[in-house]
Amino acid sequence: METVEIFVLVISFVGLLLIGVPIAYSIGLATLATMLVTMGTWPSLTTQAQRIATGLDSFALLAIPFFILAGQIMNRGGMARRLIDFARALLGLLPGALAHVNILASMLFGAISGSAVAAASAVGGIMTPQMEKDQYDRNYTAAVNITSATTGLLIPPSNILIVYSLASGGVSIAALFLAGYLPGILVGLSLMAVAAIIALRRGYGATQASGMRTVLWRFLDAIPSLTLLVVVMGGIVAGFFTATEAAAVAVLYALILALIYREITFRDLPQIFIDASGTTAVVLLLVATSVGMSWIMAYVNIPQQLTESLLALTDNGIVILLLINVILLCVGIFMDITPAVLIFTPIFLPIAITLGIDPIHFGIIIVLNLCIGLCTPPVGSVLFVGVGVAGTRISDVTRPLLPFFIAMIVALMVVTYFPGLSLWLPDLFLK
Amino acid sequence: MIPPPLNDNLQSYMTHTRKVLDRSLSTLVAILMAVLVVDVLWQVFTRFILGDPSSWTEEMARYLMIWVGLIGAAYAAGRRMHLSVDLLPGKLTGNRAHILRILIESFVLIFALAALFAGGLRLVWVMLTLGQTSASLQLPLGYVYLAVPLSGLFIAWYAILDLMGEVNELRNGNR
Repeated sequence: METVEIFVLVISFVGLLLIGVPIAYSIGLATLATMLVTMGTWPSLTTQAQRIATGLDSFALLAIPFFILAGQIMNRGGMARRLIDFARALLGLLPGALAHVNILASMLFGAISGSAVAAASAVGGIMTPQMEKDQYDRNYTAAVNITSATTGLLIPPSNILIVYSLASGGVSIAALFLAGYLPGILVGLSLMAVAAIIALRRGYGATQASGMRTVLWRFLDAIPSLTLLVVVMGGIVAGFFTATEAAAVAVLYALILALIYREITFRDLPQIFIDASGTTAVVLLLVATSVGMSWIMAYVNIPQQLTESLLALTDNGIVILLLINVILLCVGIFMDITPAVLIFTPIFLPIAITLGIDPIHFGIIIVLNLCIGLCTPPVGSVLFVGVGVAGTRISDVTRPLLPFFIAMIVALMVVTYFPGLSLWLPDLFLK
Repeated sequence: MIPPPLNDNLQSYMTHTRKVLDRSLSTLVAILMAVLVVDVLWQVFTRFILGDPSSWTEEMARYLMIWVGLIGAAYAAGRRMHLSVDLLPGKLTGNRAHILRILIESFVLIFALAALFAGGLRLVWVMLTLGQTSASLQLPLGYVYLAVPLSGLFIAWYAILDLMGEVNELRNGNR
């Protein structure tokens, strides 16, 4: 038993995290501390630097900066607004109509941009003033926006599924993308159900009904944006191009469309590239340091020991899946989704495979589970962005978020125990 | 004994340095990102339109991403974009808040100098001495990994600027 190493790793990581050292550095320093008790000083420093560099040396990972960039361009280029207008024309008659519009728009935009943070800021930025005008409670608005933004992480293309593919040692990205559709839609529908119940209670009404003409017109207006989804996903599933190439094509497509719409000019491009690089780098530094932590954990045999102790506890698959889910929910409260996927996939996936769970299905479980963590206080990147765009405080949205969390946890249980929901589409298209 | 606060010259030096650093890093990272996009689009173009896939684009893209990630991380550090748990920092006020920030920035400085800068320099040196080159571009790997110590240097620079600012606040608060 490498008790000392595990002790150093856990204590230093949790300690650094709690005093407020940025997550990426906390991971890096905890890894370094563990390396220092395991090997000499120079080998530790060099290995750490090397893990950081090689952790980013992956062509598949490259899809992430591109989807983030495409998301930025689509947001400023008027595509996000067109998707919202379409959702609005479609869902105007439901009680709490604007909440449903927010959810559907997040599903569409989050899907296209591959990022929940992008969806929360783009859709939330547009919907918050509209919902404010219609007398929706600001914290309810924020709760709807925050939770629905995560649906885009399951509905493809999705950056985090690419990260999972990397962490799992190469589960097919195309299969993961297809597997994400139904669970993502399930989460979206569950959130809509909760939103509708609350809206009925509080008397948030429908907006003006749109005639068939308007619906059709809005649909036509949104087609070029929706086409992007078809091109990207069609291209990946048909095997025309890799996710990375598809993402680069998405950047080009979004750019051309935004220039045609005349909502951005060439002058705006440098700032868009700078913003996208900043957002990208935050994710990439997390990836780089997490890869290092995952390596040192494997080096001191943590995954193996955890597997043994979990399997010693029970060999009942249903119970173990439940345990894994509970552990991940706790992890998600404090940890961002990217490092959590990179660090915990190598730990839990072998257990899952031992139990006969498909790695594709398991990826969807992990991601959906950690999506909940993205919205839970005190830490969650989507929570931060959502609270920011709504102009409210974390302490104020905590209660309004609760019913939505319950809906997401119910969806998580359904996805966990009905593998077919995840595996049906990949089986249909890829076998 | 309370040392005197930083004088105006030092203040304006800090603001100025920060601006120059922000500017240079953001320009560099935007250019790297643009080249990255063009590189992968070129790969798609050569494969589908020309039917003759380029051999070096994938490798170049991977190396460019190491640079975008690490130089971008330094830029993001300057803009305080890196995610953190702000439970404790959010609770403290006054001197205690400044002391905590000094502690946090010191940890950032340790990581940047030890792992990224020192470890990175040694990695570059080892790679250059071994003479390892990349498969298709024949690029010395030492140069590719140069992004690590550079990133460390810039992150450390920002951390030092932040530390100076916090120490200054602490001194001002005490009088």
